[in-house]
Amino acid sequence: MTHTLQITRALMTAGLLETLRRKDLYVVLILTLLLTLGASAFRVFGVQGLEIFVKDVALTTIGVMTTVLTVLIAARQIPEEMQRRTIYPLMARPITRGQLLLGKWATATFTASLCFMILALATLGLLLMLGIGVKPIFVQYLILKLLGIGWLCAMVIAFSLYMTPAANVTLSLILAFGSGLFGRLLLMAHWEHDLSALWLNLLYGLLPHYDYFDMSKKVVFDWALAPWGVIGALAGYAVLSGSAWLLMGWLRFRKQTIG
Amino acid sequence: MLPIEVSHLVVAYRRWFKPPFRAVDDLSFVVREGEIVGFLGVNGAGKTSTIKTLMGFQPPTEGAVRIFGMDATNARARQLVGFLPETALYSPYLTPYETLRLYGELHGLRARPLKAQIDALLDAVKLTHKAHTLNKNLSKGMLQRVGIAQALLGDPKLLILDEVSSGLDPIGKRELRDLLATQRARGVTIFFSSHELAEVASICDRILVIHQGRLIAEHRLSELTGRVESLEDYFIRTVQAGRDILLEEAHAA
Repeated sequence: MTHTLQITRALMTAGLLETLRRKDLYVVLILTLLLTLGASAFRVFGVQGLEIFVKDVALTTIGVMTTVLTVLIAARQIPEEMQRRTIYPLMARPITRGQLLLGKWATATFTASLCFMILALATLGLLLMLGIGVKPIFVQYLILKLLGIGWLCAMVIAFSLYMTPAANVTLSLILAFGSGLFGRLLLMAHWEHDLSALWLNLLYGLLPHYDYFDMSKKVVFDWALAPWGVIGALAGYAVLSGSAWLLMGWLRFRKQTIG
Repeated sequence: MLPIEVSHLVVAYRRWFKPPFRAVDDLSFVVREGEIVGFLGVNGAGKTSTIKTLMGFQPPTEGAVRIFGMDATNARARQLVGFLPETALYSPYLTPYETLRLYGELHGLRARPLKAQIDALLDAVKLTHKAHTLNKNLSKGMLQRVGIAQALLGDPKLLILDEVSSGLDPIGKRELRDLLATQRARGVTIFFSSHELAEVASICDRILVIHQGRLIAEHRLSELTGRVESLEDYFIRTVQAGRDILLEEAHAA
């Protein structure tokens, strides 16, 4: 257990250094702040009552940027090691493939979470400077987003062991951005074709739901705090479903020829 | 316990609508403690496939591979092993110091002894002055030195080196020979593949020649001294003879 923690910490430190030195985060941060500032520029023209619009633009931008960054960070964890052939000296150490997989997931989750927190707090600071406040539900928004990042990293890392990096990024982005659409499409299918509710529910349950972790609209419209039981249930979903993704990845990776 | 024990190893790759390709075919050999063994063969002979199974990167299709008595796929077997891959582009966003710290921590080394070991290894591979330069700003030869240093982390008892001198200049090769001699003096067993026959001749105790996945010759270098003009001639003749034998076997079958 101690060795597993040491492995995870070592991989996380190296992964974080790499991400900070790649400079992706700075570009995303500047873009987000510019978009939020741009949205608030309506005030210059004397247009009032745009707080909701500015908050919507800011949180949507954070959501999109975080999802893209998370997918890119997670998708490169193992394939890049293979491509650079550094998987050999990594696996030449007394570590199991399961430990490496877990360490890579923790690295991606930690790095993407840190990027998200920097983005979210910088944007919050900017919003407050513009005189736009947020309600306490913002804390729940942060918690759910962090859970979602861990869940998304597990899915992307699992996919990275089954498909090429390009296919993985494409599919993961479709699933992440399209997950909110699934429920509506299934509902439409129910109305239009009178499909059995059992089948639709089964299909809905099987599809990945990144949309569960997005409370941005509730923050925009200043909702009251959601019951903590709901947040707990979503945490349970993240843990169970995320573990299933990692298990799926491990089943492939444990016997895979390296290189 | 023997550092390396390979018994009837077969490594076969599946192919669509064709019989599996046997990259390694019934290969058996042992490497004894303190030996330096050169693993020779032309391109595609099966050297890398063998080394991958030794390191547990690939499970054997048939046969057994043991490292210090443990199955090679067992992670604990690698506790006493240092490995240098043929070419590895170490993360361009880390420095040699950070790269070695990463591998040292993965090896289970504690912070203080690890720092002392990294400093000593960077000094040994003459990279102290580049310790905090990003890897992307290092030359190929310098990256190979980083690789050599990472292979020596954790004081391994067995070194497995794949094309060890690749990318090194003549001075680097000389320094590498000295470094391997130091390891040998410490009692470290070294198993390496190389195309540099002069290098093999200068440091090896024994050579194994592999062709089409089969062991076609095994000699102590002392046995060859005076019997062959050069190791290069011996190697070419051995490979040609091996090729003829395998062709005859194929015709007979």
